[in-house]
Amino acid sequence: MRKITFLLAFILFVGVNWANAQTNTIHGTVVSSEDGQGIPGVTVAVKGTTVGTTTDLDGKFSLAVKPEYKTLQFSYVGMKTVDIALSGQTEINVTMESDVMQMDEVVVTALGISRDKKSLGYATQEVGGEELSTVKRDNFVNALSGRVAGVQIKANNNMGGSTNVIIRGFKSLTGNNQALFVVDGVPINNSTSNSSAQESGRAGYDYGNAVSDIDPNNIESVNVLKGAAATALYGSRAANGVIIITTKSGKAHKNGLGISFSTNVTGGWVDKSTFPTYQTNYGGGYGPYYSGSDHPGLFYYDLDGDGVDDYVVPTTEDASMGERFDPNLMVYQWDAFDEASPNYMKKTPWVNAANGPITFFNTAFSTTNSIAVDGSTDKSTFRFVYTNLYQTGIMPNSKLNRHNFGINASYDIAKNVKLSTSANYVHQSTTGRNSTGYSDNILSSFRQWWQVNVDVQQQKDIYDATGRNVTWNPHSATNGTPEYWNNYYWERYNNYETDGRDRIYGNVKLDWTITDYLSFMARASIDTYNQLQEERKAVGSVAGAFGINRMDVTSGYYRINRSFTETNFDAMLNFKKNITDKFNINAMLGTNIRRNSQSNIYASTNGGLTVPDLYAVKNSANPYLISEYESIVRVDGVFGSVSLGWNNLIYVDATLRNDHSSTLPTDNSSYMYPSVATSFVFSNLIESDWMQFGKIRLNYAEVGNDAPFASLYDTYSTPSPFGNIPLYSVPSTKNNSELVPERTKNLEAGLEMVFLQKRLGFDFAVYKTNTINQIMPVSISTATGYSTKYFNSGEVENKGVELNIFGTPVKSGKLRWDINVNWSLNRNEVLSLYEGVDNMQLASLQGGITINATVGQPFGTIMGTDYVYLDGQKVVASSGYYEKTTTSDNVLGDYNPDWMAGMTNTFTYGNWGFSFLIDMQKGGSVFSLDQWYGKGTGLYASTDFTNDLGNPVRNSIDDGGGLILDGVKEDGTPNDVRVAGNNYKVFGWSRNPNAGFIYDATYVKLREASITYTFPQKMLGNGPFQNVSFSIVGSNLAILYKDLPDADPEAGQSAGKIQGWQSGVMPTTRNVGFNLKLNF
Amino acid sequence: MKKILFILLAFLAVSCSKEKFAELNEDVKNPTNVPGETLFSNAEKNMSDQIASTNVNRNNFKLWAQYWTETTYTDESNYDIFNRRVPDNAFRTFYRDVLMDMKRSSELISANTPVGEDGLKVQKNKLAIIDIVMVYTYDRLETMFGNIPYTQALDVDNVLPAYDDALTVHKDLMARIDADIAALVDGADSFGSADLIYNGDVAAWKMFANSLKLKMAIEIADVDSESAAVKAAAEAAAPNVFASSDDDAVLDYMGATPNTNPLYVDLTLSGRHDFVPANTIVDIMNGLNDPRRDAYFDLIDGQTEYVGGDYGYSSAYDNYSHIDAYIMQTPTLGNPLLTYSEVQFYLAEANERGFNVGGSAEDHYNEAITSSMAGWGIPQADIDTYLAQPEVAYSTANGTWQEKIGTQAWIAFYTRGYLGWTEWRRLDFPIFNLPPAITSYDEIPVRYTFPNGEQTLNGANYTTAAAAIGGDLLTTKLYWDKH
Repeated sequence: MRKITFLLAFILFVGVNWANAQTNTIHGTVVSSEDGQGIPGVTVAVKGTTVGTTTDLDGKFSLAVKPEYKTLQFSYVGMKTVDIALSGQTEINVTMESDVMQMDEVVVTALGISRDKKSLGYATQEVGGEELSTVKRDNFVNALSGRVAGVQIKANNNMGGSTNVIIRGFKSLTGNNQALFVVDGVPINNSTSNSSAQESGRAGYDYGNAVSDIDPNNIESVNVLKGAAATALYGSRAANGVIIITTKSGKAHKNGLGISFSTNVTGGWVDKSTFPTYQTNYGGGYGPYYSGSDHPGLFYYDLDGDGVDDYVVPTTEDASMGERFDPNLMVYQWDAFDEASPNYMKKTPWVNAANGPITFFNTAFSTTNSIAVDGSTDKSTFRFVYTNLYQTGIMPNSKLNRHNFGINASYDIAKNVKLSTSANYVHQSTTGRNSTGYSDNILSSFRQWWQVNVDVQQQKDIYDATGRNVTWNPHSATNGTPEYWNNYYWERYNNYETDGRDRIYGNVKLDWTITDYLSFMARASIDTYNQLQEERKAVGSVAGAFGINRMDVTSGYYRINRSFTETNFDAMLNFKKNITDKFNINAMLGTNIRRNSQSNIYASTNGGLTVPDLYAVKNSANPYLISEYESIVRVDGVFGSVSLGWNNLIYVDATLRNDHSSTLPTDNSSYMYPSVATSFVFSNLIESDWMQFGKIRLNYAEVGNDAPFASLYDTYSTPSPFGNIPLYSVPSTKNNSELVPERTKNLEAGLEMVFLQKRLGFDFAVYKTNTINQIMPVSISTATGYSTKYFNSGEVENKGVELNIFGTPVKSGKLRWDINVNWSLNRNEVLSLYEGVDNMQLASLQGGITINATVGQPFGTIMGTDYVYLDGQKVVASSGYYEKTTTSDNVLGDYNPDWMAGMTNTFTYGNWGFSFLIDMQKGGSVFSLDQWYGKGTGLYASTDFTNDLGNPVRNSIDDGGGLILDGVKEDGTPNDVRVAGNNYKVFGWSRNPNAGFIYDATYVKLREASITYTFPQKMLGNGPFQNVSFSIVGSNLAILYKDLPDADPEAGQSAGKIQGWQSGVMPTTRNVGFNLKLNF
Repeated sequence: MKKILFILLAFLAVSCSKEKFAELNEDVKNPTNVPGETLFSNAEKNMSDQIASTNVNRNNFKLWAQYWTETTYTDESNYDIFNRRVPDNAFRTFYRDVLMDMKRSSELISANTPVGEDGLKVQKNKLAIIDIVMVYTYDRLETMFGNIPYTQALDVDNVLPAYDDALTVHKDLMARIDADIAALVDGADSFGSADLIYNGDVAAWKMFANSLKLKMAIEIADVDSESAAVKAAAEAAAPNVFASSDDDAVLDYMGATPNTNPLYVDLTLSGRHDFVPANTIVDIMNGLNDPRRDAYFDLIDGQTEYVGGDYGYSSAYDNYSHIDAYIMQTPTLGNPLLTYSEVQFYLAEANERGFNVGGSAEDHYNEAITSSMAGWGIPQADIDTYLAQPEVAYSTANGTWQEKIGTQAWIAFYTRGYLGWTEWRRLDFPIFNLPPAITSYDEIPVRYTFPNGEQTLNGANYTTAAAAIGGDLLTTKLYWDKH
């Protein structure tokens, strides 16, 4: 807490000292040498200081200068920098020429070190903040999808849900494989606090990933460091790549202060191609066995006591394999059983529901409002930003609210000493996240277990009228207890979760320019948050696993308090000098001390609530349950680097880092790892008209990694006591006190070229990464008495190719067309695990599916039961159903894409801009539990068709129905056994292997589009506005191609290693809205 | 420059010594050392939970014994144990959650230096009792799967444990039981309340061990090579087995979760209606006018006679008789692990096999049924009437001794699915029904397939074991299953 206080005090200090100190003003215009038009956004700075401004849309600027200022410097990306000596002028007009060599592009690399891009021997790719914030997302990371080669962004459609960010493939058998996020030099925690039950698709909520706290409106640029050479200075935690975010800082304005305001309003609608297409001819039931009547799919007994038997819907049955609809057939349905229903004790026609599950969803709505105030003087810069995101989801009673406060400030406390800070406070609160996974999930009912005769709006009406849990799925006409499913409106308004997070992250930094070649930096940073998650189950719910021990209960309360703190102390000494005209050296020596601590408390009721609606742990029917988790990890690093450059032609970089980690055995707790990167700017040797820039780069790096917390020594697990008898148990994981650091080795080469006066360019990379000596809990035979054991072994290899092509096909007059294409291919293979072990199970999922790391296979194989084949034909048993393998270790696919691509097209015409992004993935597999069960229960239109005899397949066999499955008998002759199509067996899980429900995860999406109009300066006149723009924006606009029916192939449970399996996934939301930006 | 160096050094100085670093890595919320007795208690509970459960992911033997059938989702009744990886779950529970805790418990208790002679006796008793429960657990694993990891099991330094021949394991277990019986010290204490079954009663454990020895002898009675040893073992054990139902090994559960009988969780707390009595047992008991029906089943509204769901076929819950409410809804319901009634059936069989175990087959048969009925609260008069029925009376009942004993034992073992199914495997009676997924009687499973996890994690040993037992199939008969 002291650290936070210090941080806040410093912010105040800098803020108060921010003041105007201008004396004399210079005006002017900056134009391009190519077309004579003004260039907006040119940085105009007093050379050698931080004083400066930028040009407006017409290329005009004005700047207050003091007499002691000597030179003005004009710089702009892609243009040659111009220096103008000051000699009392009041007007300076500048013509800038394009710098086809891109010599001056500066990018932020590891540890916040700025480097000339041309000198880098490794791949980085930058994305501008504007690109990420134009089309609003609740998690800015999702906006990176399709924009960076080699980066896989997988959003899962859960409101506020977690996004999987994988750079250059899955590498770690045990880690989460997620990229590291660094904001202004501060590593930001990006954990998902999802339970293992949630991640493995049982039940739970997706609490999102912590990096979604970052405010996209405050992002200046994002730079992605992909390979180990780029990230080696960060050490072990950056083995999965780094996403470096630079936030906006204060700039000089002619009125002293700059104020900008932006607002966005977006609506979201379900993309129906990602939701089931239901059959419309058959209602609730599992088959024709409820009565011996003419309608065996219905019960037949005297319900109303009039002495005549009645047809009654089997309301316990959450399937639509029942009786054929017939508007003349009058039946008792769920709405006849509750006194509050308008149809109480009334028969109603047996028909498909007028309002199906699609009507359950609301239109999503979100607003983002952001205001920023900034300014700068010769001694200080300052920027404050506040952003509010308020969002309601497509599920009833779901909302998310986030407040971001950010401040960036710097102050020159002495001539050569600058103190600066970046500080952020985030308050996030969410109500009613959607459930995920198989159990207790409304979507798994809609996709797997449902009666299409049920009118969703009638369920709403009766909930609105009674406030009670009157379900479509009661146990019987006289017992309204829900069988498997609640009334979903009741559920959304009573069994909702809430969560909130208060977070502070930021740093204070001291830069001391000791001499013109020596500088020193010291920085203290913190990322800390407290989070509360509360889950409720109201009295009268369907029984389900809940709380700490996940026992089945019909009510309960579960709360988790999490607190997390990471502190980093960095100090670096930099040496930068041109030894001769041609030879320069850039060296650095530094240290980093990192400490992560985490403290969680889990508490839940046991056996249900005593008093209804009182959500307190002490309101527990049986003694309540509590569990704690506490961890501390500390890593001390010492590092250094030397970069040598010769004649702007050859650069050599070498780094070395040693880490000392608290999680490794004392004898092996230090580990050192090097990197070497070179680049050769060969275009400097060739004088050419058609090629303006050419560079070859090559690098090799190693990165070490430590062990997870407390994986060296065994502790006992503590089951709940048996009354007053204490119980302890040997843990299921055997720890290992002999662990040594794991290591990633990375070799990468690349080629960058720019042609045709910068109208065309590309960046090509090829790499190979081997992660060896992995510290991993290997699944072992449980006959050992353990499920898993920590080993130091195993190797995963990732090899890939990345290509980024950018160009400007059209540039004439006011029209300009820019295109940017990313394409990447990654192949990974598990080379070894542990001697004698050739499979490591990552997850065991509903449906008998496992996700595995298998030697000789790509990481993330999906295994299950397969068909039995004879000469390439599926074998059908004498029963008429497919034979299944008796083993379920058949590799049915893996979740890695074959390749990914993204294409951004941007058109500008005068004040108009139009842009769209196409994002695609080729290949990868996904198992659909939704189809596995939902086809069995007869929900989908694909289970209702005309058979080979020309009759409805769901007619009884005697009545010409049924089907003959495609395949051969055991003797090789064609199958001729007809099986029934009117029960749950033939289409789904019951008589089919898993292999029948594996789909290709390929997709092509129109991910984003936007149209922007920027009001011309003339129109704004002398009003208060300097810049006004209006945009219409859309995201997830269309899925242009996919193989997976009724769902989005990207949808899933959570970020992490458990992918390639879907159950009860949310439909995709198409979002359309508008932005308004005002600058004062 | 000096200042800079000073600052840098200051930063470096913050680095801690190695000792302090190691302390950071300590898990301060979980114990590294616990009393060995607590592991024994936990292992007993885990074992009992697994045996009592009817959770479709863990234990489907109440279905396979055809006591119950499933209403809507009939996969397990139709012998699909692959979807839910049931063998993995059972295997894991017995090895990891029962045997490993037992083994560690034994190690921790051995490591304590006992205080005085009494302390030594108590320690000996504890170690013997642990071993008896381990033998009981291994016996179940071996009769479930056939060959199992045994000599190389429970050793995490060997992650590829080889499988041992099932008969060799069985014989070794019987030798262990003899050693345990010899080791138990009468009159001394043992676990006390940490023993959830007998509250540390050493005499009771001695009877349990002898009863288990008899059971294990009978289990392999059809193996020709073992006939002399089986006879000797049964005859040695018989005088020392349970003397009445009061001696039954029963784990009594508690009223509050998570310490209730698992059946209460599966059948009541789950809120589900997945099971009804199967026509197999209902029809047989109807035919015998068995008074235990009122304890086993409940009539539903409008029913005058018990009706079971057709085994393996879809059976709407509201169309069939229900499992008795007491069985479904009593959280404290005890879970029988080995009973007097069971032992009496073994003694009846021993007589038929010509073993000199006292009494006659008929005496033990009648005693077995009587004690079973009494346990379900059937009045003596009704028991007498039942036993007098020609279809029940030992002298007049139909068929071989296997059919008579097999049928009555199977009825008496209601809710003890694994035992009922195993008696059917051993004695081949009663005649089971065929669920729709299979077309012939010899497709009814007679063992569990090896866990899927063993195929992938212990592949070479799995392959060898599968070949050794004649193929890893549900229909592979185990070495003792001769008919």
